[in-house]
Order: sequence, then structure tokens, then C-alpha cells
Amino acid sequence: MSLLELDDVNAYYGESHILRGVTMNVEEGEICALLGRNGAGKTTTLRSIAGATPPNVRSGTVSFKGEDVTGKPAEDVSAGGISLVPEERRVFPNLTVAENLHLAEVVNNKSNTWGRSLTFEHEGMSTEDVYAQFPRLDERRDQQAGTLSGGEQQMLAIARALKQNTDLLLLDEPYEGLAPKIIEDVEDAVQRISEDGTTILLVEQNAAAAIKLADRAYVVDQGQIVFDGTAEELREDEATRERYLGV
Amino acid sequence: MSIVSELAVILLNGLQQGAIYVLLAVGLSIILGTLKFVNFAHGALYLVGTYAGLFIALDVTLSSGKLQEWGYGEFGLGWGFLAALILVPLFVFAVGLLMERFLARSFYDRPDTDQILVTFGLAIVVQELFRVLFGSNSLPFTQPEYILSVIPVSGPMQLPIVGSFPRWRLWVIAITAVLVGIVYLLVEHTDFGLVVRAGTRDAEMVRLLGIKISRPYLVVFGIGAALAGVAGVVGGPLNVVNPTVGMNILVPAFLTVVIGGVGTITGAVVGGLIIGLTQATLIGLPSVTIASFTLNFSPWSQVGLYAIAAIILLVRPQGIFGNEEVAP
Ligand SMILES: Nc1ncnc2c1ncn2[C@@H]1O[C@H](COP(=O)(O)OP(=O)(O)O)[C@@H](O)[C@H]1O
Ligand SMILES: [Mg+2]
Repeated sequence: MSLLELDDVNAYYGESHILRGVTMNVEEGEICALLGRNGAGKTTTLRSIAGATPPNVRSGTVSFKGEDVTGKPAEDVSAGGISLVPEERRVFPNLTVAENLHLAEVVNNKSNTWGRSLTFEHEGMSTEDVYAQFPRLDERRDQQAGTLSGGEQQMLAIARALKQNTDLLLLDEPYEGLAPKIIEDVEDAVQRISEDGTTILLVEQNAAAAIKLADRAYVVDQGQIVFDGTAEELREDEATRERYLGV
Repeated sequence: MSIVSELAVILLNGLQQGAIYVLLAVGLSIILGTLKFVNFAHGALYLVGTYAGLFIALDVTLSSGKLQEWGYGEFGLGWGFLAALILVPLFVFAVGLLMERFLARSFYDRPDTDQILVTFGLAIVVQELFRVLFGSNSLPFTQPEYILSVIPVSGPMQLPIVGSFPRWRLWVIAITAVLVGIVYLLVEHTDFGLVVRAGTRDAEMVRLLGIKISRPYLVVFGIGAALAGVAGVVGGPLNVVNPTVGMNILVPAFLTVVIGGVGTITGAVVGGLIIGLTQATLIGLPSVTIASFTLNFSPWSQVGLYAIAAIILLVRPQGIFGNEEVAP
């Protein structure tokens, strides 16, 4: 059994059929890349996994740790151990860095967990550990997140996800809009998280950067999986790369 | 009376009138900012608060309405004002919870126009229900003389500079300040408030962090309702009590919200004070006679509110403390 399994998932925005029978697996402990051009359906796939609506998953199943989580509300999926770091980072600009991070702990409040049993392989990081890993956030604890640079906001978004009890981290284009130097920092962070044992599904348009870190890769095009193999195989498959990734 | 003391009286009247708007606007604004729910029935909660306060505090004799026709004209518990001040917020809080659960919740994802239609409809239904039951005649809501039999709350009070000022109006200001302070602390310094503030900006992201936002939403609605109820109780003795009070207060309450900026408590407070002071100034200014033409300002007090709101919104469309991303 894989950690995450998508089986023939069909997802819609209103009446437009976006994901057309997506089937994919993410194995425990790996970094799996999901690549594809702009508009291919990468974000839609992550949102379908995370229980965010829209899109609506009309058929097919998403299972996590062997449990069917299709159609569960986003908060339940998240509390069950899947964290999404979304495309535009979406840190809360009106809250301080410290408050943004603290929010990830609120989920453990009694009032929130009422009626749910939560067990995790990977407990959320402590605040101290997070600050040790991200010294720039430490320096900016009391600063409003809206005033951070793009790179810092990305770090904050990842740090926030790490503070949750996460067994699977979904990263949606974490390198987008960042300077090469900052991309390296984010890559380091992703690498470290993976080494600590958290499974990662990494979505990127920047295929070269993603393949560098990934163990395996899927390529999606027009809502369908068109390639499935190891990172090595994708690196060698020039036809696929040219046709679907433009590199 | 010196010009200074006259101005001071206008200022205090403005604060007091503003206080009522603040109580309404804080709830309205948080509900609009967090839940993106346009609640035209907020005035109805004020109406419920006023009548509930009246019936809890005093013995009332209805002079019209079905209840009187049916022989239940002697109405009210006569438990005193303090009881009303405590019980009404609890009662209206519960009304707010029911409203959220059974009405608002299913409209969060619907367009503003749907929300306005359903809440405006509800406001009219409530108003007419009260008219049928308790009659359209105004009921006297006499100011309480004492709270706990010892603390005087009515009659005039001598203040330095101001001179004589109605004691009850000062109480309204004080009660508002305390309640708004409590809500402010709740929102700024608790986990509940953190979730609410985050949800104001990006509710989906809050849910993606694993937080059940439906419960804080419910509580936000309840708190907003309770504050409207309190406004009804403390404002009741200052105005006539009849079924139209809810609708009448709705417009200034919304103006307060848009002036201050949606979703901010500070904005609601400042907006309420601006509206209150504008109204009190236009009512309080002496009439001016130029040649044979007498200009009297007080009929313009309602128009003045719109004028002030228009000027502020021209300069800052998102309201004084609002931020651009949250459109009203
Ligand atoms: N909210 C939406 N409503 C309607 N269509 C959408 C929405 N979001 C994305 N789409 C469409 O779905 C397709 C896949 O989008 P997306 O998953 O965001 O692509 P990407 O691979 O760039 O992340 C695109 O054709 C896009 O236009
Ligand atoms: Mg995308």
C-alpha cells in the first residue's frame, strides 16, 4: 500500500472536466514530482487531494494511509496528516510571523479535535525547531507576514506546514517567482524535510529543478497522466520532456 | 451656558449616540469581514434586544396589538434593568446561534444579493411579527433609576466643564467601552481571535491548516448578535420603543461599518464615533439666522451621515481602517 493513492480521479470546476482519470501513487518517504505545463492540472490535483473545493471530485478515489479521504472536508484531511503549501503561499499578511506559525498549533486545541482521533507518524515541529531551521523567520517573529519578501513568505508557508503534524507535504510550485539564490535555500529546506522522513509531493513547472530532488516523477497534461517513472527515466526521456515540459 | 460647555455636551451626546452604533457595527463588521455575510437582519436583533430588555426589566401595559386583544396586555417580568442587561445578551446570543446555524450558514457561498434578500426579508418578518403581537404604538421604556438599588443611573449628573448631563447616557458610553474592550481582547489575544483574524483574510487557508472554522464562525455570529442585543437594551430607554427601531438603526449601523472599514473593530469604533458626533453636532448646533432666512441644522442630521460617509469613502473606498483586499 502506498501512502497516497489516486485512483481514476475525475475532477470538475463547475461543468468543465479538468482531471480526466488521474491515477498515481506516492510512496512513503519519497519525494515525488508532479510536473506539467501551466494549466495542465497540477494545482487541481493537489486541491483534490487536500479536500479543497472547488474542484469537485465526481468519481474516483483518493486514499491516504489506506483510508478513503475523497470528498472529506479540507480541515479533516489536513488534520489527518496532509499539509498543502499552496501556490501563492497564502501566509496571512495581517498576522505576524509568530501568529502565522501559532495558527498551525490551534488545530490541536480540544475544541477543534472534538470527536476526532488524531495519530501521526510525524509530530509537528516545535516553535524552537522551526526558528532554528529558519533563522530569517526568527529575526522577523513580530513582523507582519505581509511585509516579508517572497522568499521569506515561502519559508513561512513551509515552516507553517511543518508545524502541523504532517505525514505528507504537498508543495505547489515552491520556486515560483523566487531568485535563484532563494530557490537554493528552499531546495535545501525541502531536502532536509525529506531527510527527516516526511513524504513530499512536489509540483513544479520548473522541471529541471524538481527532477534534481525527486525520486520519481509524474507528468500531467490536459488532466491526464502522460508519464510515470523514476526521475532518472524522465531525465533520459527527451521526447516526453520536449513534448510536455518544453525542456 | 458657555460655548465650551455647549460643545462638551455635543461631544458627549455624540459619544453616546456613537456608542450605540459601535455596538451594532462591531458585530456587523466582524460578521461581514469574517463570514462575508451581509446581515440586513442585524437591526432585527437590536429590535429583539430592545423588546426583550423592556419586558425583562419592567412591567408593561400594551395598548395595542394582538396580545392586548387576547387579554395578555399586562406584560413583562419587572426584574429590573440589571437582569435585562445580563439576560438579553445571553438570549440574543442564542438567537444569533440559531440564525447562523439555520439561515446564514447555507448562504455563505451564495452571492451578496441572495444574502441581502433573505436577511432583509427576515428583518421585515420580525418587524411585522412584533407589530402584530405588541402593537405599533410606542411603548415607554423608562430609564432605570437605580441598579442594584444603590447605584444611581438616571437623572442629571454634574460634570466639570460640561455642567449637567444625563447620567444614563454616560452609562451607555461606559458599558459600550467595556464590552468593546472585551471583544477586542478576545479577537486580538486569544486563539479564537487568531482564527477569526486569519479567517477574515483567507478562510480556506485556515481550513487547509486543519482548523474547523465553522465553530468560530458560529461564535462570531453569536457575539455579534449579543452586542446588537445589548445595544437594544441600553439604547431602549433613550429612544421610543416600537417595531420600526430595528430598521431605523440599520442604515447608520451599515454606514458605520463602511466608514470604519469592514472587519476591523477599531474601524467600527472610529466609524461609530464619527457618525455619532456628526449627528449630535447637526442636532446640537443652534440655528443660524441670516437676514430673514433661518437655517436650522437638525433636520439635516440624517443627510449629514450620508454626506460624511460619501466624503470618507471618496478618499478611502475601503474605509478608514479597511484594507483593499476585503471589499465591503
Ligand atoms: N477555479 C477555477 N475555475 C475554473 N477553471 C479552473 C479553475 N482553476 C483552474 N481552472 C482550469 O483548470 C485547468 C487546470 O488548472 P490548474 O490545475 O490550476 O493548472 P496548473 O497545472 O497550472 O496548476 C486549467 O485549464 C484552468 O484554466
Ligand atoms: Mg498551478
